[in-house]
Amino acid sequence: MTEDLKNVWKDWRLHAIVFVIVLLTEFIGIHKFSVGPGIILLLPMLYAILIGLGLYFTPIISEKQAKNAEPLIVLGVTLLIAKIGVIIGPSLEQIIAAGPALLLQEFGNLGTILFALPIAVFLGLKRESIGMTHSVAREPNVGLIIDKFGFNSAETRGVMAVYIFGTVFGAVFMGLISGFLATLTPLHPLSFAMASGIGSGSMMAAASGSLVAAFPHLENDIIAFAGASNLLSLSTGLYMSIFIGLPLTEKLYNVLSRVKDKNAATNKGA
Amino acid sequence: MLKNIQEWILILVIFGVIATFGNWVGFDVVPVAAIPGMLVLILICLAGLIIQKLIPVNIPSVAYIAIIGIVVSMPAFPGSAKIVEWTTQVNLLALATPILAYAGIAIGRSWTDFKKLGWRSLVVAVFVLLGTFIGSAIIAEIVLRMQGII
Repeated sequence: MTEDLKNVWKDWRLHAIVFVIVLLTEFIGIHKFSVGPGIILLLPMLYAILIGLGLYFTPIISEKQAKNAEPLIVLGVTLLIAKIGVIIGPSLEQIIAAGPALLLQEFGNLGTILFALPIAVFLGLKRESIGMTHSVAREPNVGLIIDKFGFNSAETRGVMAVYIFGTVFGAVFMGLISGFLATLTPLHPLSFAMASGIGSGSMMAAASGSLVAAFPHLENDIIAFAGASNLLSLSTGLYMSIFIGLPLTEKLYNVLSRVKDKNAATNKGA
Repeated sequence: MLKNIQEWILILVIFGVIATFGNWVGFDVVPVAAIPGMLVLILICLAGLIIQKLIPVNIPSVAYIAIIGIVVSMPAFPGSAKIVEWTTQVNLLALATPILAYAGIAIGRSWTDFKKLGWRSLVVAVFVLLGTFIGSAIIAEIVLRMQGII
């Protein structure tokens, strides 16, 4: 760990490249455009992630630099969390007042099962769909699935697929849809702020950042609610999956696949 | 441990410098105005990272960092007004941009795995993220309205 970190801070080339990306993207600034009644917000952080990914495929970035970037993300997220902490502190009373909403919206994470599992089964995915849809598939959930079903199981292939998608496009995707849905639907921006805390630092930053850009007058409330919700997701998410999410997914999968098989049989018979 | 602390400081400072300049270009906050707030944030992180090493319970350092951040900015905490005033100069989005720049570079390594995903996996993954986001937003909306907060 220590030896690794030493190479990391000494990788001046990497830091210089990020410095240039940051200056460039902040200079470009926030751009918005309307799609129907909703607004899509393009934030500097979205350009930054895409430029970074693009550079990976050029000789400017080597495999070594891509590896060295990882601990920077971890420590960068700690700074983000510290910043969220000092926003929550002054409005702690307000957060506690909204406690019931914060706690209950954690159950909204089960929405992924009700929403995505039928689609996965309909698309013909087998037990992969259990791994895919039981949660948003961040690190603790990947661990849970591997632990329960084994490394070479269909369930593990499924959870890894969603994990990889989330790693590569999660932040971009959340950043684009959160501002869009908050401007399109009648739901309040603070409800979406709470929903932004899904247990991933970068996805939360992108989703809540997009909300802040769309509703600047609510900035502190949005960050405080998103941050508090993210902390709750981090601390309760795994237990939610173990005791509710995963058992529910398996049950629902059995029901759905039986219905599908029956339909397939009827169709063949007809 | 000492070596660890030294390296955390170096990396946090590198990150802080990049974010301070991003904060200048993107939010017109001159570095001199943002430096006290950035230092406070770095110290909060360091305190959390060190406490995590010292306490032999498996709680992630971000939990300690969040709690320290909340406590030092509560009105009852001595000097919290200054802490809030300083850290307000550091924009959340200015911290997020460098994180995602590093993340963009790092996720290049997952690209080969990503390319192997079939279209069905992509469709399902999109609905997984949408499902949790919309599900949580709807519940939050209902409860916040019942409480009369929004």
